[in-house]
Amino acid sequence: MYDRLLAARERDEGVRKVSRITWRAGLTGVVCSALIGVALTHHAESGAGHGQQSGAIVVPGQPPQPAKGSGQVTSGAS
Amino acid sequence: MTTVGVARDAFEVFGTMAVLLVTDPRAIGEARRIADRELALVDRACSRFREDSELMLLNAAAGVGPQTISPVFTDLLAAALRAARLTGGDVDPTCGRALTDLGYDRDFAQVRDAPPRLTGPVGPVPGWRRVHLDRAAHRVRLERGVQLDLGATAKAWASDRCAELIARRAGCGVLVSLGGDIAAAGPAPEDGWRVRVTDDHAAPASAPGQTVTVSSGGLATSSTTVRTWKVGGRQVHHIIDPATGEPARSCWRTVSVAAGSCTDANTASTAAIIRGPAAPDWLHDIGLPARLVRYDGSVETTAGWPRDDGPGTAA
Repeated sequence: MYDRLLAARERDEGVRKVSRITWRAGLTGVVCSALIGVALTHHAESGAGHGQQSGAIVVPGQPPQPAKGSGQVTSGAS
Repeated sequence: MTTVGVARDAFEVFGTMAVLLVTDPRAIGEARRIADRELALVDRACSRFREDSELMLLNAAAGVGPQTISPVFTDLLAAALRAARLTGGDVDPTCGRALTDLGYDRDFAQVRDAPPRLTGPVGPVPGWRRVHLDRAAHRVRLERGVQLDLGATAKAWASDRCAELIARRAGCGVLVSLGGDIAAAGPAPEDGWRVRVTDDHAAPASAPGQTVTVSSGGLATSSTTVRTWKVGGRQVHHIIDPATGEPARSCWRTVSVAAGSCTDANTASTAAIIRGPAAPDWLHDIGLPARLVRYDGSVETTAGWPRDDGPGTAA
């Protein structure tokens, strides 16, 4: 015999289960996103800095210019 | 040439000569203090001639497992590995064993004064891919047989580091030269910093070569004619070809390169020595101004390096 009360209870229980699963999935997604964000930020900071960390050899702002006379310093091997 | 107001300090470090120039004379004392502190950190991190350096301790732990290293050594090693990657392995930090086998296992003055004997056949270096650096964790693992030498990049990296810190903290223009590895930061003098380019950084100001000005970034020179010694009856030098583990046999005796940083300039000048005849095209393709000197003194330039005012130093 069809029990309306029982059916309603089972329906409500099913809705609660679906709701719990949805919340957990959502929460997991938020946590994963946060972790990925932190990891990417850390990676970016560790690779930051001056031109030495560029992915290619960096060209000078302008090439050396000709000059006359002696230098203030000497570039040679040591 | 505008040099009014420029102050200078010179001192010995790493077995070579350091020069500081600042555009605000009041800043020269602070500049020296910053340089002393940073250079001491670099020496403690990667000297190959002190047993307590991190590099020597790490070399002794090759094949053992990951080791924790300081932030400074982490950055120095990252710069060396980057140089290797950007040059396809032509500038390789795993040449420590090759240099030791050639007798360069002490301060260079001792090597020059007491020539060593060849300890055995030299072969290809292990290769930079056998160095496993976790930069974020400051941990590194060397595979068995790997021995590091950061000589190709450490001095240039230190020049960049000192120049950046001095310019930032003193708020003026600065040029740092460590044994001829030159880095400039902050506002340069109106007409730039005047640099004499020649074979040997210790050469007198009148030495044959070329004078140029730079305003920022780095300028470095590599040469097979300086830091040479005799071993087994033959003349050798310190620029190792990773493919053979032997001193590079180059058609260039000296290469000078300008780049966005001294580390990049020195990476390129060292690689150019090793690449030999292929170097000018490579430098041109990546847009680096360079001056390459053959053994007969003839000069070739690339990518906007100014026309030479005469032949290079006679060999």
